[in-house]
Amino acid sequence: MRQLRAWFLRLTTLFNKRRNDGELAAELESHLRMHIDENLDRGMAPAEARRQALIKLGGVEQAKEQYRARRGVPLLETLAQDVRYGLRVLGKSPGFTAVAVLTLALGIGANTAIFSLVDWLILRPLPIAQPSRVVFLEASYKDRNPGTQFSYPDFQRIQEQTGNIFAGTAAIQMFQMDGLSVGGGSTPIWTNYVSGNFFELLGIKPALGRFILPSEGGVAGADPVLVVSYAFWKSRLGGDPAVIGKKVSVNGQPVTIVGVAPKNFHGVEASLDTQGYMPLGMAPVLQDASKDFFTDAKSSSVVLIARLKDAVTFQEVQPELQVVSQHLSTPNRGDMTLLAQPLEAASLVTGPAVRPALKLASSLFLILAIAVLVLACMNIANLCLVRVAARQREVAMRAALGATRGRLIRQLLTESLLLAAFGCVGGLLLGIAANGAFSSIPLGSSLPFVLDFHFDWRVFADALTMAALTGFLVGITPALRVSRTDLNEILHEGGRAATAGRQRFRNTLVGAQVAGSLMLLIVAGLFVRSLENAHRSDLGFDPSNVLNVSIDPHEAGYQQAQAREFQKQLLLRARSLPGVVSASFAWSVPMSYQSYYSPLKIEGYQTRAGEPAPAAGFNAVSTDYFATMRIPLLQGRDFQESDSENSQRVAIVNQNFVDLYWHGQNPIGRHFSTTGDPGHAIDVVGVVKNSRDSDIFTNNDPFYYVPMFQTYNSVVTLQLKTVSSPEALAPALVNLVHALEPAMPVFDVQTMTAELGGLNGLLLFQFAAVLAGALGILGLILALVGVYGVISYAASQRTHEIGIRLALGAQPSQILRMIFGQGLVIIGMGVLAGILAAGALARLVGNFLFGVAAFDPLTYASAALVLAVVALLACYIPARRAMRVDPMVALRYE
Amino acid sequence: MNSNRSDKTSGKAEDKADVQQGTLALMILKTLESMGPLHGYGIARRIEQISNHLLSLNYGTLYPALLKLEQEGSVASDWGVSDNNRKAKYYTLTRAGRRQLARETHEWEQTAAIVARFLSSEGEHS
Repeated sequence: MRQLRAWFLRLTTLFNKRRNDGELAAELESHLRMHIDENLDRGMAPAEARRQALIKLGGVEQAKEQYRARRGVPLLETLAQDVRYGLRVLGKSPGFTAVAVLTLALGIGANTAIFSLVDWLILRPLPIAQPSRVVFLEASYKDRNPGTQFSYPDFQRIQEQTGNIFAGTAAIQMFQMDGLSVGGGSTPIWTNYVSGNFFELLGIKPALGRFILPSEGGVAGADPVLVVSYAFWKSRLGGDPAVIGKKVSVNGQPVTIVGVAPKNFHGVEASLDTQGYMPLGMAPVLQDASKDFFTDAKSSSVVLIARLKDAVTFQEVQPELQVVSQHLSTPNRGDMTLLAQPLEAASLVTGPAVRPALKLASSLFLILAIAVLVLACMNIANLCLVRVAARQREVAMRAALGATRGRLIRQLLTESLLLAAFGCVGGLLLGIAANGAFSSIPLGSSLPFVLDFHFDWRVFADALTMAALTGFLVGITPALRVSRTDLNEILHEGGRAATAGRQRFRNTLVGAQVAGSLMLLIVAGLFVRSLENAHRSDLGFDPSNVLNVSIDPHEAGYQQAQAREFQKQLLLRARSLPGVVSASFAWSVPMSYQSYYSPLKIEGYQTRAGEPAPAAGFNAVSTDYFATMRIPLLQGRDFQESDSENSQRVAIVNQNFVDLYWHGQNPIGRHFSTTGDPGHAIDVVGVVKNSRDSDIFTNNDPFYYVPMFQTYNSVVTLQLKTVSSPEALAPALVNLVHALEPAMPVFDVQTMTAELGGLNGLLLFQFAAVLAGALGILGLILALVGVYGVISYAASQRTHEIGIRLALGAQPSQILRMIFGQGLVIIGMGVLAGILAAGALARLVGNFLFGVAAFDPLTYASAALVLAVVALLACYIPARRAMRVDPMVALRYE
Repeated sequence: MNSNRSDKTSGKAEDKADVQQGTLALMILKTLESMGPLHGYGIARRIEQISNHLLSLNYGTLYPALLKLEQEGSVASDWGVSDNNRKAKYYTLTRAGRRQLARETHEWEQTAAIVARFLSSEGEHS
């Protein structure tokens, strides 16, 4: 307690130092006076009286200093002094300060920007209560891809049987697209149908109104209520609090808005904003596909999440789930393992397989960004070394006046930490700017993607850590070096200390910079080449002059028969639009976010042990689809108008399908069926060339097409092949849709070429290339500055020596060779090390390349060449300057 | 620059003072107990007198010790006027100071007794 009080008092004195100093002076003065008085009384002469008193008092300054040390907190006081002094020193050389701060800001900015991406992608937990206690269930198989969807009866069974491990289990029908109509017109809204306990299980509070209640959602059509997302409420409903209680219609059915979700909650899949939540019981009423939802044990359509009971661990959950899984109606439940997976952002829809890839990509780009920061650090460390060498006399003077080594190091470290602090501020600003750029990337879709790279505490912590480390690393070497130097030598020798050792250290730094920057360049080169390859890749279809428009008749309240009629009418009219070469429908278009996939039973194909069960991606298309997309028919016939609901089911397969399942034999007339509908055998009537049907990454997957009117889906995309610019036809097409049905929502109106730039197309390649390219260029600039700085400094240090050499008859070209040669060796070593470093990263990089090997010799060679040329140029300029030294000037200078 | 030098000297001086300060504090407290409120000079003189001038005290070292005691709440200070009309800072023993004095006196006596006994027993054996 007493200690505490003392410390508190000491801290407070920091702020009224001057007054305290005066008081001490007065006290000592009075002490002296009293002593002198007494000495006078004893009969001493005034001068002697004063002398004796002073002797007895001892060293006044020492006493004062001791008093001050006791009074305040010396560490804090000297820190304040160091900061003030550091600021003055930095202010005195604004050029150095500006370069250093800018360099650090670039390094830290690159880090912050990339870290905020990583934070958003994989680190940030869902904004729910105790997110680590919430899991989702996954059906994992030996020979098939894991599934995350279950049937409603299975949900009920799981709910009943997991009472001792889960506090609750909720079911979600993820991402349905509905049409919301408030007054006239209808807009698409992305919805989740959730069991009544969903919000309770997540433990969140509504921003407005109420959530869906645990009592709601168990009966078909019983609770027509809607909770909307905050973003949807703000943007589409005008942020009006009066919407609570408002009657609207969803897919033509009356529904009441009861609440608004919290601002930062976008649903359990955080990368897309779930715009509306309705009770599961509304699914059979609003979704054609969910009519028998509550009883249908065959169709799996709900994702299950659960919250662990208090004190239940993940290990305890697994054996219980294994028992439960044997009671489910899921096909192949024999090989199925029910797993509880942590519910992390972006894992439900994209599937668990995406997360490791995200983690890999994140670590790769973090490594690159850290490499840039390290390069920046090396540059500043170099600059600091040079400066410190110039400041040796100052430092020596301070040491001579009694500064301890620790005190000197602290002073120099304070300076570099100040630089880092400014760099950190600059870096955060740059990071925010870069984030703004990331957020405005066009994703080529009307989907409500959440690009929320806001800076949370993790990003700030990252930036601060980086800055602190940077400041320390940059400052420590020069500080240690300079504080170790011999005072006498420096003070006597007039500031020309031996610099050989330091130069070697600097050369190593530059070599490392060349290496790091080469590594960055090579990775950037690989990504750029991979983008080029993706651009040039054979899509298998022709994207030019194609316009896509998506419609969803059920959002306008249409039932199946009505919708089908609408689609037929629209297709007829679209084909007669002027400028249209051909028009067709498809469930999905290549590179879009929608794709379909089905497990199959294939006639004459036996799954061998270890092989996955047959399955293929598919698309349902209208007649003329292959004409519109320019996909060549290799064998058999195209779809015809006669392939209708009432005729034999038919399919056209791609070449991969034939090769994989029928070993290249003639497939025409063979059959297969889907496991979801085993009763209908499908006749193969044709074979088309392979194309990249779903994404740009693969073209060797089996794929098949079925006639659109033999199956049903409400959301379809109309594609027009046009004579000239497809954009010009967009208004006419939208008018056409609205002429048929004014309330019909139209979305994703864009050209096929624009679609190619999307997330499943070139976007990721572009993004990676731009990001890696930017880091590579940053690295190159930093290396350039580093090499130039060190070589020109080394040359200037040797001016005297060069003068002597020239005076003794050396040719200027020999001087050039001497300086240049030194640079050449460093750069050579750096290039070698850089190639090795890139090679070490190659395995990681290789995961994200397209059509280019991670060890692509051309990329390695050209990057090395570019770097070597630039670096040699940076050497050449100081070398030339050294060559031109006038011996007389150089010698007289001393 | 100035601060660096003084920083160094203060560091050294403090090492030396640490040993003394314990006893010095005790002496200051005892002086204030027996003499009542007193200024720094008076305390210094008194300590010197009591020790029969055996203890050579640098009067200056007294002030950091007084400050420490004041910060710890054992003494309080106030400006007043001395017998011969000099302005001086007077130190008074607080209640906490009395407690500290009692405790430290006890501890010191114990230590002294132990050391004394130890030294005398050592003498018997030799």
